Amino acid sequence: MSLAHFEVHQPTSLAQALDLLSAHRADARVLCGGTDLVPKLKAGVIAIGHLISLKRVPELDHVSFSPDQGLVIGGAARLSDVAEAPGVAENYPGLAHACSVMATTQIRHMGTVAGNIANAAPSGDTAAPLLVHDAVINVVGPGGRRSIPLADFFAGPGASVLDSLEIIETITAPAPQKPCGSQYLRLSARSLVDIAAVGVAALIALDGAGRVNRCRLAMAAVAPTPRRCPEAEALLEGKTPDAGLIAAAAQALSAASCPIDDVRSSAAYRQQMVGVLARRALEHSLKLAQGGAQ
Amino acid sequence: MKTNPKLIGQSVPRLDAPQKVTGQAIYTDDIKLPGMLYCKMLTSPLPHARIKRIDVSKARALPGVKDVIIGEDTPKVKYGNWRLVPESQDELPLAVDKVRFVGDEVAAVAALDPEIAEKAISLIEVEYEELPALYTVEDSIADGAPLIHEESKGNVSLVRKINYGDVDGSFASAHYVREDTFRVHAVQHAYMEPCASIAAPDEGGRVTLWTSTQTPYIVQCLLASTLGIPENHVRVMKVAVGGGFGGKMELRPWEFCCAFMALRTGRPVKFLWSRKEDLSFGRRRHGMTLYSKIAFAKDGKLIAKDFQVLLDGGAYNAMGPTATFLCGTFGNMAYRLPAYRYFGRHVYTNKPPASAMRGFGAPQAYFAMESQFSMAAEEMGFDPIDLRIINAMEEGDVIPEVATVSTCGFKESLEKVRELSGWDEKRKNRQPGHGLGISAYSFISGGVFNWFNTKYNFSAAEVRVYDDGTAHLFSMACDIGQGPDTVLRQILAADLGLSIDKVRLTAMDTAQTPKADLGSWGSRVTLMNGNAILEATKKIKEMLIPVLFAEFDLNQIQDLAFEDDHIFVKSNPKKRMSFAQAVYKALRGRRGEPLVAQGYYTPRNKGLVSPAFSFGAQVAEVTVDQDTGLVKVDKIYTAHDCGVPINKKAVEGQLEGAIQMGLGYTLSEQFVMKDGRTLNSTFLDYKVPTALDMPPSESVEVETYEPEGPFGAKEAGEGLAIPTAAAIGHAVYEATGYRCKDLPITPEKVLRGLGKLK
Ligand SMILES: Cc1cc2nc3c(=O)[nH]c(=O)nc-3n(C[C@H](O)[C@H](O)[C@H](O)COP(=O)(O)OP(=O)(O)OC[C@H]3O[C@@H](n4cnc5c(N)ncnc54)[C@H](O)[C@@H]3O)c2cc1C
Repeated sequence: MSLAHFEVHQPTSLAQALDLLSAHRADARVLCGGTDLVPKLKAGVIAIGHLISLKRVPELDHVSFSPDQGLVIGGAARLSDVAEAPGVAENYPGLAHACSVMATTQIRHMGTVAGNIANAAPSGDTAAPLLVHDAVINVVGPGGRRSIPLADFFAGPGASVLDSLEIIETITAPAPQKPCGSQYLRLSARSLVDIAAVGVAALIALDGAGRVNRCRLAMAAVAPTPRRCPEAEALLEGKTPDAGLIAAAAQALSAASCPIDDVRSSAAYRQQMVGVLARRALEHSLKLAQGGAQ
Repeated sequence: MKTNPKLIGQSVPRLDAPQKVTGQAIYTDDIKLPGMLYCKMLTSPLPHARIKRIDVSKARALPGVKDVIIGEDTPKVKYGNWRLVPESQDELPLAVDKVRFVGDEVAAVAALDPEIAEKAISLIEVEYEELPALYTVEDSIADGAPLIHEESKGNVSLVRKINYGDVDGSFASAHYVREDTFRVHAVQHAYMEPCASIAAPDEGGRVTLWTSTQTPYIVQCLLASTLGIPENHVRVMKVAVGGGFGGKMELRPWEFCCAFMALRTGRPVKFLWSRKEDLSFGRRRHGMTLYSKIAFAKDGKLIAKDFQVLLDGGAYNAMGPTATFLCGTFGNMAYRLPAYRYFGRHVYTNKPPASAMRGFGAPQAYFAMESQFSMAAEEMGFDPIDLRIINAMEEGDVIPEVATVSTCGFKESLEKVRELSGWDEKRKNRQPGHGLGISAYSFISGGVFNWFNTKYNFSAAEVRVYDDGTAHLFSMACDIGQGPDTVLRQILAADLGLSIDKVRLTAMDTAQTPKADLGSWGSRVTLMNGNAILEATKKIKEMLIPVLFAEFDLNQIQDLAFEDDHIFVKSNPKKRMSFAQAVYKALRGRRGEPLVAQGYYTPRNKGLVSPAFSFGAQVAEVTVDQDTGLVKVDKIYTAHDCGVPINKKAVEGQLEGAIQMGLGYTLSEQFVMKDGRTLNSTFLDYKVPTALDMPPSESVEVETYEPEGPFGAKEAGEGLAIPTAAAIGHAVYEATGYRCKDLPITPEKVLRGLGKLK
């Protein structure tokens, strides 16, 4: 299939990018790495006259971590940049893992975290690990800036609350409160270069007495959007964790998932795997929080 | 063992590699000709239907459309590769009366650009009367099933029977008997280059076709017969081909349509399939239902086998008849088998036609046989490798009604793989979730059975030598990525003692290269074309030898050596002359007549199946995640006898590629079909293992010197693609207790098999 004709704009500032978006309105789309957008254009799934590339907007090309600011991911930061940025692997190991194993080397050097989130695929790999870190999506549009908790960002498969004239400026997440451990696990039939059939992220933070004062569980590819599961989290929060509680929380996450049968997996398998991955991710997170295995 | 020239057995780098990795190689779709039109085809949206009416008037009226054709516009000559059995030729380039699978071609358009052609396709109106469709072999052979081809008997297009020895008597008196039914699925070649063709009209009603094929000669002949023009009016030309694996070895509808419309419009016409179309409608490996009953004596000797196979052929025969024949032959290869009965049926279903695919019936037949060997070994208390060694063929063995095995490194392969994999040690210290599995194979080095009914030799070569010290090889053999462009030049260079860069190649041009070559399939190219080349180089040597005898006044008991671009007296290497100089003198002596020689090869007195047989054994080591069912192949060990490996690196490449295909076949690739439609028609959802999924592998070659092969070579192309499925299947059983009899081994099946998933 040949590509339909469209124009690519390469603004060099955020202001220019916003102006271009407003100028072409419904006929324009933000382009970052293009690894989701270009295949869709090629397949004729969407037709667009103007692509506004963010690749040359310096304000968006950064990743940083500091104990005060936490994690700040620029709207054009590539997956590979995020995986390698100082502080990410130590503080957000699930996100670092997602950004270093999803897709392929080439795609990770083109694709961005913002693109992955804006694309809003139920199976998007960065969503679950960001959800367990209470990430916030900070957007800028013609009306100014607003911040949307990631937990409220997705609206359905491929849909989000982002307005078509808005740009994701940063994705932020607070520095995890210590001691804390987290992990993201994904499963797919082809094992390596493949979209996830199931993704689960977990986070456990402990208080001085070894009780869980914060638990987060999130899942991807097993519901219309990536999402957290407060019911499952509540089973561990305030408790001294043990195998039974972990199993119960994993079971609750599995019960809250609503996967579908598709060409990749059956719903029954997926639902069961949510429990398996959740148990593993919780066990590992707990160990990390307890200062155990790395 | 004979000593071979230095160049044989070396890892000569592929001569086509630099062009391919720098993007200079020209593939069919790279060709652009002045005035070229773009072809698109309309395919059936229904699995089985009668065509009641086709209206192309709107398409024809669309500006930019230069031609629109339907079946009724064409000569309506049926074709198929089995020319020997004309009733088996069941395909038409464009459907007439009926469509038989989703994707069956109904009409074609040639237009100024692909978008117009696409638009025109959407304007063609077809009225169908839907017919009941059949999706499984069991449904197709059921009493009263609707007929997909009216001429067939109960949807069975071909039956093959083999019967020798006292099968029933042996079962009655056997120490151990087991019977199993295996189901294996369809997979696809997943060649990198989708199907593509471009046809250009030539003067006098002739046509030239560049096409992504592995059988240019077959395409030439069948294109000529379907167009109704002389064979010599059709020229099929060389281009780089990005893989075939059996999926590009027949005439295909777009080849006909491009040529037909090129002749009608007087303009070149190009066609290109998208990956989606290739995955949805392209050829596939046969899914099969294989019933196998085997019997052993107390000492572990295999005494009888009853093998009944239903091949899911899809809507047309394609290469299915050959797969049906060979499946029976592979059922009694590798092991001594005194009594054997085979009943193979090729069955039509309303699905994309199955055809040849790397192994041609062998991956399926050996999955059944090798799985049974491992199961029988366990139940009879034998080590699985020992049981195979007890039954392994040896040099000089006869495969009844088929062939005599002249070289056989099978037992050595089994012993070597035992050693290489640490089999005994690892089986003693078994870890839960971890397992080792074994499987073996024997394969053919080219076929003998002349189903294409060619009048020509199976392989041919023409060699010309020049007084600048170079040679020129003309060969119809086609390099589809597997390496003969290098290996054949290596054989030529080795025999004439030339450096390989001195050999120019003109390949795969049916108007220029000597007749004939049956194509790249059946692991035939190295052995057959190599032999043809050696016959030609022998004649060239005979033209050069007199020059040196005259020059140095040699006694006729002397012998000459051809080495390092020189020719010299073996007993006195100082008496030497450069190859160039010898050719110069010969030319003078022949008063200017060029030094040209042809060589041919057709296997003779070699039984019905193949001139030579490869053997091998493979061990897979796996870890199975007991909670997720995921199978991870940790390592693959292979020991095999391919005769003399002409090019070691090329053999290694074949092995790596075979493991990759074997992994996909066993673990991740399958078509998800609904009502005859393929639901997973992208590489996102049709899961071919990638480079990152490849397990490490170790291998050893057990060299034998095959007297029938060039410099002792046999085959390494397809045989290696056979054992992986049964080896992994066995390893998964050892790791978990779950025995898979229906490929692929998906995580869900493993968990269900272990009772861990409802
Ligand atoms: C071969 C292959 C493998 C893949 N494997 C995976 C995988 O394993 N896991 C996975 O999750 N994904 C995978 N993907 C999908 C894709 O690579 C990722 O989702 C990637 O992160 C998208 O980023 P991008 O910058 O390329 O997005 P683009 O394609 O540029 O954009 C995607 C969408 O986001 C919007 N957008 C992008 N940036 C912004 C911004 N700053 N503000 C507002 N909107 C924005 C665009 O308008 C578009 O709608 C794969 C893709 C390919 C081609």
